[in-house]
Amino acid sequence: MAASISGYTFSSVCYHSANSNSDHEGFLLGDVRQEETVSISDTQISSAELLQVVEIHNHDPCAQLFSFYDYAGKVNEENLNSILKDRRKNVIGWYRFRRNTQQQMSFREQVIHKQLTQLLGVPDLIFLLFSFISTANSSTHALEYVLFRPNRRYNQRITLSIPNLGNTSQQEYKVSSVPNTSVNYAKVIKEHGAEFFDKDGVMKDIRTIYQVYSALQDKVQAVCGEVEQSERVKEKIQEDVNKLKQQIALRKRKTAEEERRLREAQNTDSHSTPEENTEPSESSLLSRIAFHSPSAPQRPSTSPNPPSYADLLSQDDSLLSSSSSPTSAALLPRPQAVGSPGHPTPGPLGMDLGLGLGLGLSLGASSNPVSTPSTPYLGNGDGSSSDSLDRQAAGQEDDEDDDEDDDDEDEDSSEYENLVSETTHLPVVSGSVLAQGRPAALSPDGDARGSQTT
Amino acid sequence: AAVVVVFPASDAVHLESDAFLVCMNHALSTEKEEVMGLCIGEVELSRIVHIHSVIILRRSDKRKDRVEISPEQLSAASTEAERLADTTGRPMRVVGWYHSHPHITVWPSHVDVRTQAMYQMLDQCFVGLIFSCFIEDKNTKTGRVLYTCFQSVHAPKGSEYERVEIPIHVVPREAIGKVCLESAVELPRILCQEEQDTYRKIHNLAHLDPVTKIHNGSVFTKNLCSQMSAVSGPLLQWLEDRLEHNKHSILELQQEKERLLQELEAL
Repeated sequence: MAASISGYTFSSVCYHSANSNSDHEGFLLGDVRQEETVSISDTQISSAELLQVVEIHNHDPCAQLFSFYDYAGKVNEENLNSILKDRRKNVIGWYRFRRNTQQQMSFREQVIHKQLTQLLGVPDLIFLLFSFISTANSSTHALEYVLFRPNRRYNQRITLSIPNLGNTSQQEYKVSSVPNTSVNYAKVIKEHGAEFFDKDGVMKDIRTIYQVYSALQDKVQAVCGEVEQSERVKEKIQEDVNKLKQQIALRKRKTAEEERRLREAQNTDSHSTPEENTEPSESSLLSRIAFHSPSAPQRPSTSPNPPSYADLLSQDDSLLSSSSSPTSAALLPRPQAVGSPGHPTPGPLGMDLGLGLGLGLSLGASSNPVSTPSTPYLGNGDGSSSDSLDRQAAGQEDDEDDDEDDDDEDEDSSEYENLVSETTHLPVVSGSVLAQGRPAALSPDGDARGSQTT
Repeated sequence: AAVVVVFPASDAVHLESDAFLVCMNHALSTEKEEVMGLCIGEVELSRIVHIHSVIILRRSDKRKDRVEISPEQLSAASTEAERLADTTGRPMRVVGWYHSHPHITVWPSHVDVRTQAMYQMLDQCFVGLIFSCFIEDKNTKTGRVLYTCFQSVHAPKGSEYERVEIPIHVVPREAIGKVCLESAVELPRILCQEEQDTYRKIHNLAHLDPVTKIHNGSVFTKNLCSQMSAVSGPLLQWLEDRLEHNKHSILELQQEKERLLQELEAL
């Protein structure tokens, strides 16, 4: 079985996790299918194998913990549906990001997983566990990830690959032709090969594929512009929301203080002259007004959560911790900012994860060694940077052949330049400077080639 | 020979989470070579280096472990920093560099440490970040991504340099900044330009027969297709998903704002 996740989705999970001041979780959307792989063996009988392929296309982050389950791990189907909406049919699994914990499913996670399997009707629901650890001085951090198939025996683990560019294969260009003196050969390939080239001697495919790339990049640019606008709108409304919360909190505090003062005033009055209570005095009128202002029940802007790590550590910051605006608070790392070795003491932690934690740790011997935060993670283990480290050849460039003289055929190169500049002009996306892209691609010689070629 | 002493002058690094996102995207884009970029931000009086965004760079020398940055690239990056300064109204400059170690330990090599030391001669506060990725423990099927931050100092004996660990924290930022988005979408463009440059050199060779030319043209086509499948495509998908996510968030936030306004009125 093979599983994959795109680098962008993976990074996005890391990004959302970095923004959370507690554990983070969400759903995995994607596709599971059987693929036939054809292998041709030496006996020349092709054998087809069925390979199960799990593709994680996207993730759906939960805004907070306990959004679809409670302390006991009981899943609330209604909440689940309101979170997933029509994406429900694409769910193939879920994920959790935890700091400084073991690489195995906790008891509660297992309980939740069983229910999700049933409710979502995905027999082989997968679970992706991200575990974050740091060195004591926070200079080095590691993000470990394991993909589980909990519904299989022994909680099977699958390798999760991140497809990427891999080998850019620039070495595959041929810098010289295989020597051949056959006149027939030269004649045939010239005559029939001509199909591939346009009148300028440029391969037609080059232009065609470049157009595909260019159109794609234009689209990327355009959607990027839209995303940028949406980020700014979101930021602004979040700011407004935060301000309102602050104002409300301030107003409530003031009201509470006033009430308290009035009550105190009343008490001293009532001790001395009990009759006065029956008359609506000025102070009691005020107090009645004060009492009338509905002490609105603390609206759970977030669903009833157990306190997150931030709340536990600094109660006063209850406003700031729920805010996400890049105010000065963003300049200081929160204690729970990714990379902090600080984590809650066992007490609050236990509260956060509920009963499960204790049980989870004792369940079964974990086969994977747990790295404690205090040891430098991985590498030589001793923090040395040595050349003896195993290095994969990153693909060395071929030394250019000697007979590849500086045949700077200007006509050829200028034709190519023309080719490129002809086919590229970015559409001007209204109101978005982004569409024009960067003025200069930062190429090694620093020239503004970007403006020419793009 | 004069001995230039290199001081590490930074106490810690705060990396904004959207810049962190771009670094991760970049590092995970290829497992076959090291990628690199520059960090833009400011250094506070407290000697904390604050990284607001990163710029993806082209590597002129693709030999392994050659992650030097040319003066022209630094200069162009400074221009970008100025642009960011204009946008944010804060003084911005190039404050560090990052590169990836695919399949390799996260610790800087001797070359890395030396390169870092050179940058520190120009700017004491300059910091280096390394992202290690595509690591897998075959026994436990555990994948790993690591990142570290370092500066260089003179080793006690000899004129060699050694690394000094610098604490690094990723600072939450719920909204992705404009500069970070721009950096992210530069990657496909840079990859295409690299391919074009290589092809142009090949194309200039006069003595290639038609079959070889067709071959080379196909290599170009193939490579561009790889770039589109592996980078442009997933990037576009992520952008679309992000847009969708933001639209939902905006709706919810607007509803919350309404509720809060009403609540405030009532008080």
